[in-house]
Amino acid sequence: MSGTLIGIVVFNIVIALVISLVFVPILVWMERRIAGFMQDRMGPNRCHIGGVRLGGIVQSFADMLKLVFKEDYRPNSVKEKMLFTLSPVIVFVSAYLSFMVMPFADDLTVDGKTYMMQALPIDFGLLWILAFTGLGVYGLMLGGWASNNKYSLLGGIRAAAQVISYEAVMGLSLISMLIVYGSINLGDMVRFQGQLIWGFIPAWGIIIQPVAAILFIITAFAETNRAPFDIAEGESEIVGGFHTEYSAMRFGLFFVGEYIAMGAASAFIVTLFLGGFQIPWLNTAFLKENIELVFIAMIIIIPVGSYFFAGWIKKNNVWLKADDVRNRETKWLVNGLIGINVILVLMLLAFLVLGLGQDGINISVALLQTVTFIVKLLMMNFFFIWVRWTLVRFRYDQLQNLAWKVLLPIAIANIFFTGIFVVVMGA
Amino acid sequence: MGVKVVPRHGKSLKDKLYLPAIVGGMKVTFSHFFKNIKDTSNIETLNYPEEQPKDITPRYRGVHRLTKREDDSVRCVACFMCSTACPADCIFIEAVEREDGVDEKMPKKFSIDLLECVFCGACVEACPCDAIRMDTGIFSFVGKKREDFVLDIDALLANKPMKGSDK
Repeated sequence: MSGTLIGIVVFNIVIALVISLVFVPILVWMERRIAGFMQDRMGPNRCHIGGVRLGGIVQSFADMLKLVFKEDYRPNSVKEKMLFTLSPVIVFVSAYLSFMVMPFADDLTVDGKTYMMQALPIDFGLLWILAFTGLGVYGLMLGGWASNNKYSLLGGIRAAAQVISYEAVMGLSLISMLIVYGSINLGDMVRFQGQLIWGFIPAWGIIIQPVAAILFIITAFAETNRAPFDIAEGESEIVGGFHTEYSAMRFGLFFVGEYIAMGAASAFIVTLFLGGFQIPWLNTAFLKENIELVFIAMIIIIPVGSYFFAGWIKKNNVWLKADDVRNRETKWLVNGLIGINVILVLMLLAFLVLGLGQDGINISVALLQTVTFIVKLLMMNFFFIWVRWTLVRFRYDQLQNLAWKVLLPIAIANIFFTGIFVVVMGA
Repeated sequence: MGVKVVPRHGKSLKDKLYLPAIVGGMKVTFSHFFKNIKDTSNIETLNYPEEQPKDITPRYRGVHRLTKREDDSVRCVACFMCSTACPADCIFIEAVEREDGVDEKMPKKFSIDLLECVFCGACVEACPCDAIRMDTGIFSFVGKKREDFVLDIDALLANKPMKGSDK
């Protein structure tokens, strides 16, 4: 066990933890603020710690504290006490584990050894994700059943039926992607997407296989029980669905699990269809050869972007009362932004002047790709939230009709045509 | 008989595909999102405790006030019309003879229990000499104990009409 190995493993695990667990409060905040903005409202924006609001993100931490300190209550009518406690854990753990195989950078070579940039360095990532996203619904089913409540049971049944239908379509839409990529290693899939078609279009999954991409995105919404397919909760018909009887941190685990599942589905979509960690038009080999050019571009882009961002902060981050403590935050944020810019630009200049070794170049490329992956992940999460606050919920029969009568035939036809194409082209 | 044929939607291929309609809807939500995140002052939310509403009309029924004569004495003649009209029985009047010759009677005590009051305005309608009005524009009244909500004659006389009302 060398120091580099430990360092890289710890880095991988920390990044996986950050983009799964730490992103949850951020996602909750994004959900509420974006919903507000889409409906011409403010969203949570008052909560602050010593004047620091960060656009209202402090509200998420306050809500989390409230959930943690609530009484751990279980109704007397619950007979299956162990399953009742276990089901939120299943939801949480399966969503969380499916995050662990997402590659967030290309394989990293340091001191002649190559490391996979995943928290769990396994090369059958696709099967792992399918297994754990399928397992997550057991939590909903068991929770709905163990609650000993007719609405919870209905919610659990709906979740089970929905996931069975959509799992089939999801698996079939993935098969056409497997035919194209010829691998179940997620890293290989992303490296395939670093190519260019005819020299100028990035060979992303969504461009090679648009039908499979649309099918997969629709089924991913259904798998994560999010609108327009959130009939398992269906608060207009069955109270709260499977989590009617849950409160405090038991409910909190369901809630966190739902958001981690959304993040995992986003990461999966990004990896399969949106080029994963690849920066468009700049694949790993190109980045390694032209790292100086990339640094120069960053030295120009980062300060310019920060300038506009600081202007936006100054314009929008104002509190109505001039003497309020919340008004001090803008100055701190702008100063912090300037500080980060100075440090980054100085570092990049030092790298340019002093030059990086091959290992240094590899590590900086990996960091760049990690940042790219996180940006893409956030954009996909935004898409999830955007869809939730645009579309209405499907009725139950419409949902099943859509899965079995529309999506399934399309998925099978897509496999058929992809197969013919691959055989004819001899690829 | 004229029969109007209402066109039904959902039969064309474009409607059956769902996706064009979904994209249209998402365009609408995104345009709202972009407009509001570009400049949050585009949102018409009233940030209530810091910003106060400016659109309260003079006809708004707020907390009551007792009006005054030209010589700053109380206009009320303690006729008990308002407390009789009051459906919530929240007006308590104690009359006394008026010594200064302006009128015959005046209230010694005149208190309104705002916790009982339903703000119906029946007292204002009933008053024969325009002595009680609800044009203060006060829509939120705060107290720490129940007794704070019983306004006595001094408090009612001290209430001012809101800006923009005729008197």
